[in-house]
Amino acid sequence: MIFAKVIGTIVSTQKDENLNGKKLLLCKEVDHTGKPLKTYHVAVDAVQAGEGNFVLLSYGSSARMTQFTKTAPIDAVVMAIIDDIQITEKKNIKKS
Amino acid sequence: MKLAKVTGVVWATQKAKELNGCRLFLVQPISGMDEQPNGKPFVAADPRNLAASGDKVIVVTSTDAAQAFDSGFAPVNASIVQLLDDLD
Repeated sequence: MIFAKVIGTIVSTQKDENLNGKKLLLCKEVDHTGKPLKTYHVAVDAVQAGEGNFVLLSYGSSARMTQFTKTAPIDAVVMAIIDDIQITEKKNIKKS
Repeated sequence: MKLAKVTGVVWATQKAKELNGCRLFLVQPISGMDEQPNGKPFVAADPRNLAASGDKVIVVTSTDAAQAFDSGFAPVNASIVQLLDDLD
């Protein structure tokens, strides 16, 4: 799983029918401290996240492992909204 | 599977239903008992409630991470499956 910040919503009318009713979010990857990284991801929203939320993304085939996204052609899902990250061992964490 | 050290706790109230009751940890891959960092930190789920902060653990990554859940069905990329006591 990776950390990301939701920066926008994607609107599309013509899409695969298995994506109907699913909100697509544009997310920018961040590191564990909240520092933005260069990568952007488009992810399906499974937890009612909104713009500005700090979220966890699951990617690859694991993204299909929710009841909500079981049959959808996707490779990234927002599966948690992060309240807080409590870092207990600062010195041994490698900076990304 | 990877050796890692639990370096933080990730608190999330709103989670996918499949993850209810499962804690999420920030883990740092390490190269051995000397705890030398070996790659970028990432988030791992703890479906068996094994770990606590500071523990050394074994983490399963990729699709197989879901197999650590009883249901075998969860949107996770990494799961903690064992605690590491010692290395010979």
